[in-house]
Amino acid sequence: MSTSLKQATTLVIDDFQSMRAMVASFLKTMGVTGIDSVGTAREALDLLSAKKYDIVICDYNLGHGKNGQQILEEARYKNYISYSTIWIMVTAEKTIDMFMGAAETKPDDYLLKPITESLLEARLKKLIEKKQFFAPVEKAVKAKEYIRAIALCNELLKTPSTSTQEIQRIKSDLLIMMGDFPGAKAYFESILLVRSTPWAKTGLGKVYFMTKEFALAQEVFQEVLNENKMYLEAADWLAKTHDAMGDLVQAQHVLTKAMALSPNASARQKNLADAAHKNGELDVAQTAYEKAIKLSEHSVHKSSSTFAGLAKVLTAKDEPSEALRVLERTRNEFKNDPDAALQTAIIEGMAYQKMGLPEKAEEALAAAEELMNDQPGKVSETAMMDMANTFFKLGKKEKGCDLLENVVKNNHENAGMIKMVESVFEDAGMVGEGDALIKKSTAEVVNINNEGVVLANEGKFEEGIKLLRQALKSLPNNDQMIANMCGMMIGQMVKNGKDDRIMFEVREHLDRVRKINPSNKKYNTYMNILNKLASPAA
Amino acid sequence: MEQEEINFSDFIASSTHDMKNSLSIQIGFLEELMGGSRVKLDASTLDQLGHSIYEAKRMNTNLIQILSMYKLGKSIYPIDIAEQSVNEVLEEVVLQNQAIMEFKGISVSVDCPEVCFWYFDRDLVSGILVNALNNAYNYTTDKIHLVATINDQMLEIRVEDNGRGYPESLLQGNIADNKGVSFSTGSTGLGFYFSSLVAGMHKNGGKQGSLAIENGGTYGGGCFVVTLP
Repeated sequence: MSTSLKQATTLVIDDFQSMRAMVASFLKTMGVTGIDSVGTAREALDLLSAKKYDIVICDYNLGHGKNGQQILEEARYKNYISYSTIWIMVTAEKTIDMFMGAAETKPDDYLLKPITESLLEARLKKLIEKKQFFAPVEKAVKAKEYIRAIALCNELLKTPSTSTQEIQRIKSDLLIMMGDFPGAKAYFESILLVRSTPWAKTGLGKVYFMTKEFALAQEVFQEVLNENKMYLEAADWLAKTHDAMGDLVQAQHVLTKAMALSPNASARQKNLADAAHKNGELDVAQTAYEKAIKLSEHSVHKSSSTFAGLAKVLTAKDEPSEALRVLERTRNEFKNDPDAALQTAIIEGMAYQKMGLPEKAEEALAAAEELMNDQPGKVSETAMMDMANTFFKLGKKEKGCDLLENVVKNNHENAGMIKMVESVFEDAGMVGEGDALIKKSTAEVVNINNEGVVLANEGKFEEGIKLLRQALKSLPNNDQMIANMCGMMIGQMVKNGKDDRIMFEVREHLDRVRKINPSNKKYNTYMNILNKLASPAA
Repeated sequence: MEQEEINFSDFIASSTHDMKNSLSIQIGFLEELMGGSRVKLDASTLDQLGHSIYEAKRMNTNLIQILSMYKLGKSIYPIDIAEQSVNEVLEEVVLQNQAIMEFKGISVSVDCPEVCFWYFDRDLVSGILVNALNNAYNYTTDKIHLVATINDQMLEIRVEDNGRGYPESLLQGNIADNKGVSFSTGSTGLGFYFSSLVAGMHKNGGKQGSLAIENGGTYGGGCFVVTLP
């Protein structure tokens, strides 16, 4: 925020009238004139959506409904507040869910009760200074000028301040975002040399995870937890690592332990449910999904896939009519959400099939197909595999195979995904056919890529780009092919000179590559060449 | 009918939490009251008001310590060791207690370099310092001095007063063992126990934090010394 404390527009959120009055009177004494105060989350969000606030002072525990964190998440998600808004969370005590939750959105500061006027004023002044201190970096990050943002971080790091760790965090996030894994690794190691902090160690583990050095990642995350068992971010990553290494039992074990320490983290509860589901522990999965649904009831991040998970577990437990009830609820809670509609339709098909109602099942799947065609490239692999699975059970081999072919072609280098496709075939008793399909589909993609490489080597970039662009229409999620196309576009610019339009397109494509597969090796290489091309000297 | 098992410490923790909420509101209003009625009230009423704020704050500090201890005991306290401006933390602790100090005519001074950064859990260490200030408030004549220095890769924070100093009996024992209740002094020893526990949880490069009390320092009174690696 650019204004001074006195000119700041301020919102006080607290369910106790007496607390609200007290904080408001503190603010008045400080000379603040623009003060609004409300007692419920609903009123708070209404005001936040209508008016721009510089400072929000919010009680964490607001009785029923949303808590302070959920208001903050919703306000940030819906862009009611910007990075310049100062958000202070007032709490009676420090709890694990607040500090070590998987929450990505965090308030600028926590104040423990009792608050006094002088303390509040001192904190507010510090926070205003801090916002101004960080403003240039935040702006650069927002504009996706990552290299400049890192340079700005380096500048800020030259002087010691209370924000050192935060700047280090931003800088390391930027390095990871740019795919500079060796750089990020070296950076975390240099921080750890000075002092072993759980966040830096967890960061190092994340780098190992992204470079697929899972054994090292596991070791590092485990070490963090041995030193500080409450640092649950490391537990989340440890579970992810076990999962990536194929050890789902360990993944579930780690998440169960973490849940016992922070019973209110809904995202983690959902991960636990997913792990138990994959492990076939249906009762555990059911309970966990139900809890996750309950916990995210008031959250802007509540996800239809949690409901879908519960419905699938119920179907697998031979309780298809219960599953249908859950799906009905999903429809009501996620109106106008095409992804939820698709998931609901697919699982409905599964449930009807289980109930011995093949016509109804086919009807549901037909609806699902229509929804899928409406959103090409956006359908999750899980949804496609679920659908294929049901088609096989209904005897519709061809439709099932088409879907799985699509999954294979979009993920031909993703061993984990291929394994899941194999198990769908196995369930349907089609191991031989499945192997043949996987081989053939993989070969097709490899051939197109090779053809493209030949064209590129001959300097025929336009032709190569055209070929891959055409192929990508049916395989929009194949990160390898998108990366190859980026390589050709860069080659074209090296040959013919840089072109802002192509430059922009390559950036968009590379962004997508990173989203699909954060550890794609070509991402960083091309990103670096692109940045060199973009700099004025080139 | 079978009786359900009651977890006493969980019960204590949640009612402590509740008490703390009420107390927070009470302290807020008492302070506001005192700020607004300085001129209206006679000296002895003001004095009583000041004393009730002091007692309420002591209670609050104790409740926080009980809650923290409950969590530390169950290893569920979210310790957050991060780089802090020592100066800022000291100033803040003083601010929190300013009204009450002024009231009793105690002057509190801080001696800390402007650029002095160290790693610790801000809330826990603030808790230690508030506790130390509360003690000093009781025992000092009219001065309290906070000093922070970094020596040999250790941060030392001293809370010194110009009172008569700690009694010999207290100086001789191991301070961390001092959990006993003394009805004659009204001390439960909880503060010392809590402080040395928290100091000890700060570890770095094979070194561990600690707590000591001594007599002497700037004014020759009692000194409360926290050392953090």
